[in-house]
Amino acid sequence: MKPRLPLIVISGYLGAGKTTLINRVLAEDHGLKLMVMVNDFGAINIDAALIAEASEDTMTLTNGCVCCTMGADLFMAIGDVLDREQRPDHLVIEASGIADPARIAQVAQAEPDLVYGGIVTVVDGLSFEMLARDDQIGAQVAGQVSAADLILISKMARPNPTLSMRLCVQARAAVFDLTEVEALAPLLFGSGIQDLPDISTMRHAPYLGWSSVSDRAFAYADLLALLKARPEGLFRFKGFVAHNDTSGWEVQCVGPTVNIKPLKTAQKTRVVGIGLRSEITAKQIDRWWGG
Amino acid sequence: MEATHVAVRGGEILAVGDATCADQWGEVRHDDSLQDTVLMPGFIEGHAHMMAGGMWEYAYAGFHDRIDPDGKLWSGLTDIDAVIGGLSDFADTLEEGQPLVGWGFDPIFLTSERMNKKHLDQISTTRPIAIMFSNFHLMCVNSVALEIAGFDQTTNAEGVIKGTDGQPTGELQEMAAMFPVMRRLGIDFRGLSQKESVIRAYGDVARRAGVTTVTDLYSQMETEDVSTMLRVTGSDDFALRIVPALGAAEGPKTIADKAEALAKLSTDKLRLGAVKLMTDGSIQGWTARVKSPGYVGGQPNGIWNTPPETIFALVEELHSRGIQMHIHVNGDEAAEVTLNAIEAALRKYPWTGHRHVLQHCQLMGRDLFTRAADMGVCCNIFANHIYYFGDQHVALTLGLDRAERMDGARSAIDAGVNIALHSDAPVTPMAPLFTAWCAVNRQTMSGRTLGVAQCIDVEEALFAITMGAAYTLKLDSEIGSIETGKRADFVVLGDDPLAVDPMALKDVPIMGTVFGGRVHLL
Repeated sequence: MKPRLPLIVISGYLGAGKTTLINRVLAEDHGLKLMVMVNDFGAINIDAALIAEASEDTMTLTNGCVCCTMGADLFMAIGDVLDREQRPDHLVIEASGIADPARIAQVAQAEPDLVYGGIVTVVDGLSFEMLARDDQIGAQVAGQVSAADLILISKMARPNPTLSMRLCVQARAAVFDLTEVEALAPLLFGSGIQDLPDISTMRHAPYLGWSSVSDRAFAYADLLALLKARPEGLFRFKGFVAHNDTSGWEVQCVGPTVNIKPLKTAQKTRVVGIGLRSEITAKQIDRWWGG
Repeated sequence: MEATHVAVRGGEILAVGDATCADQWGEVRHDDSLQDTVLMPGFIEGHAHMMAGGMWEYAYAGFHDRIDPDGKLWSGLTDIDAVIGGLSDFADTLEEGQPLVGWGFDPIFLTSERMNKKHLDQISTTRPIAIMFSNFHLMCVNSVALEIAGFDQTTNAEGVIKGTDGQPTGELQEMAAMFPVMRRLGIDFRGLSQKESVIRAYGDVARRAGVTTVTDLYSQMETEDVSTMLRVTGSDDFALRIVPALGAAEGPKTIADKAEALAKLSTDKLRLGAVKLMTDGSIQGWTARVKSPGYVGGQPNGIWNTPPETIFALVEELHSRGIQMHIHVNGDEAAEVTLNAIEAALRKYPWTGHRHVLQHCQLMGRDLFTRAADMGVCCNIFANHIYYFGDQHVALTLGLDRAERMDGARSAIDAGVNIALHSDAPVTPMAPLFTAWCAVNRQTMSGRTLGVAQCIDVEEALFAITMGAAYTLKLDSEIGSIETGKRADFVVLGDDPLAVDPMALKDVPIMGTVFGGRVHLL
C-alpha cells in the first residue's frame, strides 16, 4: 500500500503573499519531496540554478520538489497525484485568492488516501483590517482566517501583537509573523522536528519540537477524547498509534483539527508535535500525553 | 406576406419568397418533402454546456420527464418508490458489479423521507450505486459504495453525513466528500465534455430541440480537446455549430493569449475565441451576490467566485485585446460590479460593437438594464428559472415582489437591450420553444403566473431565441433569420408558433432541423 499523502492548503486573499511563501518553501533546505499546485505558474520565481526541468505547466527542482498548475479541475488533479507511481511526501495546494480553503482541505478528511495537513492562511498585515471590513469581500476574507489552522502574517517590518491577538481569537489558530519564522517546513509539514534545535539553544525560533515513542495502545474513543483535550499551544501533532495486533491509527492534528484514520496493520505508538514556545513547554506536553 | 419557399445552394440561402423565387438563378429542383411543416430560422441556444450530452452516459433520476439524445423518454420519478423502481430497471441493463450512477435527483420535489443508503440498498447490495443530485453539490450512495470509499463510523469529515447511530447515512455533501466515491467508481461529470461520443450526443440533444447553433459556456479546452472537437464538428454528418467560450480559470494575460490562439483555429462549425467569466454563485443556493435588502430569510450575502478586483482586471485585459466576454451574473450586485468593470474598460479602450454578454441576469432591474443598453452590453436571460425555481424564489430566497421581476425580459427589451433567452442545459433541459414559453407566460411549476408585467409577446420571444441569440454570438450576419445570403439553418416545426395559443407554444412539435441545407428529421 502506498503511504497516505498529507495535504496542506495555502489560503489568503489576492496579494497576501501566498506565492512568496511558496517560493520560500520550495527553496528551503528541508529534504522533502513536495508537490505544489499553484494558480499562476508564471508567478513562481525560483532561482534558475535550482530548476532541473521545466515545461509549460510543470517545473521539477533539483531538490526533488515539483511545482505545477492545477488545471481545470482541482479534484481531478488531486486524483492524478494519488494515482502516481511515486507519491510526493506532501501535497501543497495554493487556493485561489477568494476560495474557501476548507472546501478544498475537507477532501483530506474524507479521502482515505489523504492526510489532513492543515490550512495555512497568509494574511497581509498591512491591509487585513481594511479588507475584513470591505462590504463586498470582507466576509470571504474573514472566512479564510476562521478556517485556518495556522496563520502567517506577511509584509510587516516587525510583529504587531494586536493584530496577532485578533487573528488568534478569530481563528483559534496559531499565529506567526513571517519575520519571526526562520524555517517554514516544521510549521507547515511537521517534518524535521527531530532536527529542530534543542529548546535551550533555539532562542529565536518561536516553536519547539517534541516526540514520544511508547507501547501504549488506544481504543478509538479514548484516543479521540485525548486528542481533543490537546493543550492549546501544541499546534501540530502527528504520528502512529497502537490499537491491537491487527490494526492501528494514523493521527494528524493541526490547529483545532483532529484527524484519525484506521490502519490495517499493527502499529507502534510514535508521535511528534510542535508547540508554540510562548504558550507551552515540553513538560506540559509530556504531562498531557502521559507515559 | 409570409414566404412559402426558400432556395438553397451550397449550404446557403439563395432566395426567399414563393415557388418562383430562385428562377432567375437557372434550373431549380423543387423539394416539397417539408410542405406540411413550418420552417423557422434554426434555434440558437446562447447558454448551455456540453455536459448536456455527456450526462446521458448515466441514469436519469429527476422529477421532470426528460428526453435523451436518442429520443427515449425518461419519465419523471415523482416519489422515492418510483426512484428506486426506475433505477432498479436501469440496473438490470448493467453488467454485474458495474457501478450504477444516476443524476438529476432533486429532493426539493419529494416530500417523503430523505433519500439514504437503505433506499439504494434495495436496488443492490453488491453493486456500488451513486445518485448525483440535480445541483451537483450532493449525492447519495449505497452501502457498497460507502464501503469502497472507506466511509464508516470513524470517518470524521464534514460532508459525510452521519445518522443518529453514528454511521454514514449515504448522503455526501460537496465535492470534498463525494470525491472518494467518484474517484473509485470512475465518475467524472465535468470531464464529460471532450469525448467524441459526448460531442455527438450534444449534437443529438440540440437537434431534438430544433437548435442549429449552440454554445458551450465555460469550456476547458486543451490542445488535444480542440483537435477532437475540430474533427467531430468537421464531419459532414455533424449538423450543429458549436460556439465554446473558454473558461477564465487563469490570470488575465494567460486567458487572453489562449483565447487569441483558439480564435485562429475557428471553422464554420466550431467558433472559438470568446471567454466566459464567473462572478457570483446561484440564487437558489443563496450564493448569488444580491443588493440590499438581501435574501428574504436573512441569509448572509452570497460569495464571489471571482473577487471584484479580479473581475476588473480580467475585463480590462480581455476588452483591451478585443476579446468578447460572456459573464455569469445571477445576483444584481454581481451585475452591477460587472457593468462597472466594463464601463471602466470602455473609458480606457473605447470599442463600439464589443457585444459583451451578461449571462443569467436574473435580478437586474430597469436601472441595470438601462446601463447595459447604454454600453452596448447584451443580456442573456435565464427564462427557464421562472418555471423551475420561481415558486422557491417566492417562498425562500427573494419574496414575491422581487421574484415577480426576476428574469425581467420586458424591462430589458424596453430599456433597449439586445436580449437572448436560455436554458443553461443540463441545469434545465435544452428546448428553446419552452424557454420562449417561459418568457411569454411566466408560469411556475405550481401554475402561478409570476410577474405578469414582465411577460413578453411571442414574436419578441421567438426573436430572442434566433436573431437575439445570434447577435450575442456576433453571428447575426450569418444565422438567426431566413434571409438570402445566410446559412440554410432551419428548425422544422409541426405547427406555426405564431398561430397557436401562447400557452401552447412549448407544445409545438419539433420535427427536426435543416443544417446547411441538409434535412435532419427526427
